[in-house]
Amino acid sequence: MKRYLVVLVGLGVLFGLGGAVWASKPGVLTIWADDTRAPILAELGERFSAEYGIPVEVHELPFGDIRDKLVIAAPAGEGPDIIIGPHDWIGELIADGLLEPIPFLEEKKDQFVPVSIEAFTWGEKIYGLPYLTEAIGIIYNKDLVPQPPRTYTELIAIASALTDPEAGRYGFLTHVPQPDPYHSFPFLTAFGGYIFGLDEEGVLDPCDIGLDSEGAIMGAHLILELITSGLVPAGTDYGVMTGLFNEGVVGMILTGPWAVADIRAAGIPYGIAVLPTVAGRPMRPFLGVHGFMVSAFSANKALAMLFLEEFIATRDTMLALYEADPRNPAFLPALEVVSAEPDVAAWAANAALGIPMPAIPEMAAVWAAWGDAIKLIVTQEMTPEDALRAAADHIRELIGCK
Amino acid sequence: MPAPTCIVMIARLGKIIVLGTTDAIGVWAAVGLFSSRSWAPLTCLLAGLGVLNFVLLSKRAYPLRYILPGLIPFALMVAYPIIYNMSIAFTNYGTGNRLTKDQVIAHFENMYYLPEGSERFAYQAFRDADGNLALLLVSKDGGELYLALDEVLRPVDAGDPRFVYEGEEIVRIDGYHQLSRREVVRLLGKLQGVSLRRGEDTIRLVSLNEFAVYRRSYRYDQERDVLVDLRTGVEYTPVQGTFTSPTGETLQPGFVTWVGFQNFFDIITNPRVTGPFFRVFRWTFLWALLSVVSTFALGLGLAILLNDPYLELRHVYRTILILPYAIPGFISIMVWAGLLNVDFGVVNRILRSLVGVTIPWFHDGFWAKVGLLLVNLWLGYPYMMIVSLGALQSIPQELYEAARVDGANRWQRFWKITLPLLLISVAPLLVGSFAFNFNNFNVIYLLTGGGPPIPGAQTLAGQTDILISYTYKLAFGGAGAQYGFASAISLIIFLIIGTISALNFRFTRRLEQMSGGL
Repeated sequence: MKRYLVVLVGLGVLFGLGGAVWASKPGVLTIWADDTRAPILAELGERFSAEYGIPVEVHELPFGDIRDKLVIAAPAGEGPDIIIGPHDWIGELIADGLLEPIPFLEEKKDQFVPVSIEAFTWGEKIYGLPYLTEAIGIIYNKDLVPQPPRTYTELIAIASALTDPEAGRYGFLTHVPQPDPYHSFPFLTAFGGYIFGLDEEGVLDPCDIGLDSEGAIMGAHLILELITSGLVPAGTDYGVMTGLFNEGVVGMILTGPWAVADIRAAGIPYGIAVLPTVAGRPMRPFLGVHGFMVSAFSANKALAMLFLEEFIATRDTMLALYEADPRNPAFLPALEVVSAEPDVAAWAANAALGIPMPAIPEMAAVWAAWGDAIKLIVTQEMTPEDALRAAADHIRELIGCK
Repeated sequence: MPAPTCIVMIARLGKIIVLGTTDAIGVWAAVGLFSSRSWAPLTCLLAGLGVLNFVLLSKRAYPLRYILPGLIPFALMVAYPIIYNMSIAFTNYGTGNRLTKDQVIAHFENMYYLPEGSERFAYQAFRDADGNLALLLVSKDGGELYLALDEVLRPVDAGDPRFVYEGEEIVRIDGYHQLSRREVVRLLGKLQGVSLRRGEDTIRLVSLNEFAVYRRSYRYDQERDVLVDLRTGVEYTPVQGTFTSPTGETLQPGFVTWVGFQNFFDIITNPRVTGPFFRVFRWTFLWALLSVVSTFALGLGLAILLNDPYLELRHVYRTILILPYAIPGFISIMVWAGLLNVDFGVVNRILRSLVGVTIPWFHDGFWAKVGLLLVNLWLGYPYMMIVSLGALQSIPQELYEAARVDGANRWQRFWKITLPLLLISVAPLLVGSFAFNFNNFNVIYLLTGGGPPIPGAQTLAGQTDILISYTYKLAFGGAGAQYGFASAISLIIFLIIGTISALNFRFTRRLEQMSGGL
């Protein structure tokens, strides 16, 4: 009998697999959010239900899983109505036909940080309601660096005076040589380098690759000088950089808001400075924006838009989201409330310099080849010129622009 | 009635009841699947039910009752993923091509655009006792009133006798009463699907408060299989899963389609892929071989030491030596990455203070490979040690006594008795370990990520990439995820490993035959 039971259970499992639980159903608003945002959205959902009698279901998923699950679930009719995620997902999701533009933002875009709307714009349409922005800047130890540098020359002067590897003290550390292309972007932009140019319609042109532009090469020389001058050891990775900074032996590091919680816990008297200027021009970081998006396979598009317009794009909601995860709000009325805090103002100044991270799927090819080029430059296997030209050619070929 | 017959009767009755219930549930589920037109699950369900009935009812299929409980999980967890993977290899499934053709056509057919200066309307919704909707629209341009009782929008006069006013506001139309905002929101799902016609115009909901004149963007011509852009008149025909205009412009999204052997041609004819292939293959082979040899050598050596009955505290040593096996591999690898850091790592600091050398672990191809092998040795020797400890117990002690009587020394006893007898039971595990390391993605990806890069090579492959990590980079390092392409490469890897394993097992069998007498 036991054997039959095994067979039955097996078949039962087989047949049970078809059942969909988290599907977008007409008349029920389904939201996928990560663990930080889910409790706030669940509370908003209850208020929405009380006001309109529409049930709202919030499902908690790990942040990175939201996209991976959406691309499989949505076409099968089992996806959500609303998701949250970073703006650099939109290129792939639009290419897959999974996102719905959000028309009401056209009239309300003045209420958001301009670059955050730019980040979620694809063609002429806006595909996400931004709620936070983040960009990297200089975090400095006030005990070692009383006055943060305003120019790159000042930064190098302060760093040279402080650095003493024998004593285990460093003036300025960055994990760019790891390699970390994301953090190397400000060096690339300091002399006008870029990743993708824009075509006539204002959309990123995957075939206009600026990784081997003159500005990018000059920026790579700055990175190489950091290594050859002995200021930054080539083995610096993120763990080493933040670990040493939290021990109080590093003057300045180049990183983003995610490092601040540990720095505070370590009791380091820190300040956040705007990226320095190089020969009068700003170093511009990548800008990351997180926002709410609506699935093209939603059965409740109008409801989803209404929820976003009346319950999310409000000062109180945006402040609640900030309280749960203190990264700069993208919604101006909320940003004004919190901008008295010095960290917020400093990150906002860095974000204002930011260039939205390219959202096109071709970026995957860029990360790999760009990282390889940085590694070859910092290990001095190739000159910045040769390494970046080879990388840019490789990317053009990978994307199919040759 | 004798007792055994009674038990048989009860068992048979039980069988009929259980089978009958299962069949009933199955038929009920089949009706549901049939009405929702889910053909693939329906076929599986009916086939599964048929097989179950055949196996339990037919005398001839009696042996199958013992095999089937094993075959079903095999089919679900081994055969199905392999077949699925193989079928994906012949499609263009990946970023930009995830939807079915019908879904893509529906996507374009449901695209509307607001023409420049489109006429907009405020609206009121009404409902009668039967739940039918009526919509009253007011043009925001000229203030004209329109009424829609069905899909057609008709101009009406403000003084229409059907209207019941309350002050300025119309609160009832004939049998229809006005809906509150709350009620309208609950009906939004229905309202967003409403398309009203006024002559040539299509009028649809823009937002909660507005309707507007829309135009359709695309029309699909089923007979000619073309998608027509209604704004420009350009006709798009499907080419390899993407609607393409005569001038080569493509429309996103594309759809999943069968592309035959295209992915395999791409692998073979693309010099970017084939160029580093042999270099990667050589290292993959070397990596798997050296990993097996080094872990086995260390594991066996430690096992022989621990097997010595005169060793004090051997249980303590054994526990300590198994520890690397008990720590999750991911954590060990991350810790090792830190230990081997060129400038800040403990290993290099010790080397620098003792002998004054700095080893460029992950900056140099050769040393990166050495580092990988060292870490993999750390991760892999406990397994080999456990396996060898067990196998050593099975070697009869009399053989050693006889060898000692014949005057064989320790080395001779190891090479002539221990190793050959050990290999009989361990060799298949070594083959398995080889296949595992051949595809050991975790260590490579987490420790070096395939790096350091090959200077000037313009390829995704790094100096320590093995085939599977190279596949990963090819599949996900271009433009989004190319599952079809990745499946095609993994099929090729499957063939390579299959061949190597088959050759290995043949060799192992010879080994067993050679020592068959023992």
